Amino acid sequence: MTSDYAVLAEDLTKFYGPRRGIEGLTLGVEPGEVMGFLGPNGAGKTTTIRLLLDFLRPTRGRATVLGLDPRRDKATLHGRIGYLPGELAFPGRERAADLLRFLGDARGGVAWSRVTELAERLDLDLTRPVRAMSKGNKQKVGLVQAFMHQPALLVLDEPTSGLDPLMQQEFLAMVRDARAAGQTVFMSSHVLAEVQQVADRVAIVRDGRLAAVERVESLGRRAVRSVEIHFADPVDPGEFAGLPGVGDVTVSGPVLKCTVDGRLDPLIKAAARHEVVDLLSAEPDLEETFLSFYYHSEGAGDATRAGA
Amino acid sequence: MLPALVRKTWRDDRRALAGWAAGVAAFTVIYTSFYRRFQGAAEMKQDALPKGMLDFLGIADMLSAAGYLQATVFSLIGPLLLLMCAITLTARTIARPEEDGGMELLLVNPVSRRAFAGQRLAATGTAVTAVAAVPWVLLMVIVPAVGMQIPLSRVSAAAFGLVALVWCFTGIAFLVGAATGGRGMVLAVTGAIALATYLANAVSGMAGAWGWLRWLSPFHYFIGTDPLHTGWHPAELLVLVAAGAATTVAGVVLFDRRDIGV
Ligand SMILES: Nc1ncnc2c1ncn2[C@@H]1O[C@H](COP(=O)(O)OP(=O)(O)OP(=O)(O)O)[C@@H](O)[C@H]1O
Ligand SMILES: [Mg+2]
Repeated sequence: MTSDYAVLAEDLTKFYGPRRGIEGLTLGVEPGEVMGFLGPNGAGKTTTIRLLLDFLRPTRGRATVLGLDPRRDKATLHGRIGYLPGELAFPGRERAADLLRFLGDARGGVAWSRVTELAERLDLDLTRPVRAMSKGNKQKVGLVQAFMHQPALLVLDEPTSGLDPLMQQEFLAMVRDARAAGQTVFMSSHVLAEVQQVADRVAIVRDGRLAAVERVESLGRRAVRSVEIHFADPVDPGEFAGLPGVGDVTVSGPVLKCTVDGRLDPLIKAAARHEVVDLLSAEPDLEETFLSFYYHSEGAGDATRAGA
Repeated sequence: MLPALVRKTWRDDRRALAGWAAGVAAFTVIYTSFYRRFQGAAEMKQDALPKGMLDFLGIADMLSAAGYLQATVFSLIGPLLLLMCAITLTARTIARPEEDGGMELLLVNPVSRRAFAGQRLAATGTAVTAVAAVPWVLLMVIVPAVGMQIPLSRVSAAAFGLVALVWCFTGIAFLVGAATGGRGMVLAVTGAIALATYLANAVSGMAGAWGWLRWLSPFHYFIGTDPLHTGWHPAELLVLVAAGAATTVAGVVLFDRRDIGV
């Protein structure tokens, strides 16, 4: 692979003593792309991000960020990255404005109008001491400092944690704007729904390993929906159980319940042989798909195959 | 213009610094201004304490001006206060932000790891030096004012020794913090070294067989040369400065090599 990628991890591995943080991660993020980085607690998201920022040194493998080496080129690189820590804590007891002024100065000066504009967008009062802020407001300070110098790459560890739904939407709008401005975004999250709204691709890690990398559009096609059909007369479950994509078939009298993975056509054709009274189909719940495919080990093999 | 990180470090430490400076100043002024009133009482105190005890406390004679100054400002409480100030403030350069999580936002500062560690220590080092120089500045005024018969160059030699001692322990504290990232580690290890070397110096002065121990003690290089009676001893002072410099460099190098915040 070349380093035309904004972020490139090659066999990136980090062990904390015997404990696995992340192992054998090979992943490329294209310039200008928004990539979501998903996975359950302890999957290795924060570890990966901290490797990219040179807070941690890899046990094996390497990372290239904006074509640079995170360790050797730390000074240059950190000027071009906007970073939001996953465990956000602020140095000092200053007011938000003073802290942001320091961070701006450290990065070679940031137009103050840019800071106030972001603060207004997120409805953040800069005159309050950061330590005394609520969790969500602290998160906003973290976001403002990550975005304020318009970095080429945004590395955001659980950016929406603590934000109310309205602010989550505002954040997603900020990501869209960043994307429109040609910035690359690499953000971790637990919630597929939010990532799905802005990301081009998602990478899913589980248990320290990459489980899948997919385009967001193709996630929908893999969605599992639950379907309920009410017939005029009782039906035989055997008629439906074998159909492609249909699973979890239960029949109680004239009511059939099942799940459908992929196209609905086979089920509809089979149902049409009977008199149908009612048909209910829940919208495919990506979150459920996500959970079933990636969190449970039985879905894992499938996910890996799909990602490869 | 100073680096933003240096200014930030000073701003975050300004209250602690003001507190330490005020405390050290108050201590220096109160003790030395008692000099004249103490003159009579000193004789009693001198007799009241056994000779061995006086030696251990580094109080050879309380009667002469130099002896009084040594006993009050330079033997125990002065170094103790300044070392506490130096160690706690130096623990803030790396170990404290690393433990409380503020480190990540400091460390994304676009400078190399080495420059980061260097700037942090430069800021704290100058601040601590300023506090350590407080007795020096005050004594330059107080010594003549209260009529102590000591040449100011000797007072300066002793007062600079205090600054050099502080540099030495600032370096050690920095090294421990930079290498481990643990605040408790900085306080415990540096505190233990300070206590052990203080005792080593005290013991070596009393028991002949243990005399060699003093060569290991920063306190010997600071006060063992008896600067209030004998003036400047550049070689000994240089040892303290070199120890501070060497530990600083080692700290920067080790900080550059390790994982942060694990
Ligand atoms: N400092 C550390 N020392 C030892 N093990 C660690 C350390 N930090 C993380 N780990 C381990 O590494 C693994 C990955 O942790 P990491 O913090 O990267 O997960 P994460 O995906 O960010 O989880 P979360 O969603 O909860 O933030 C976990 O098993 C964790 O226990
Ligand atoms: Mg995490």
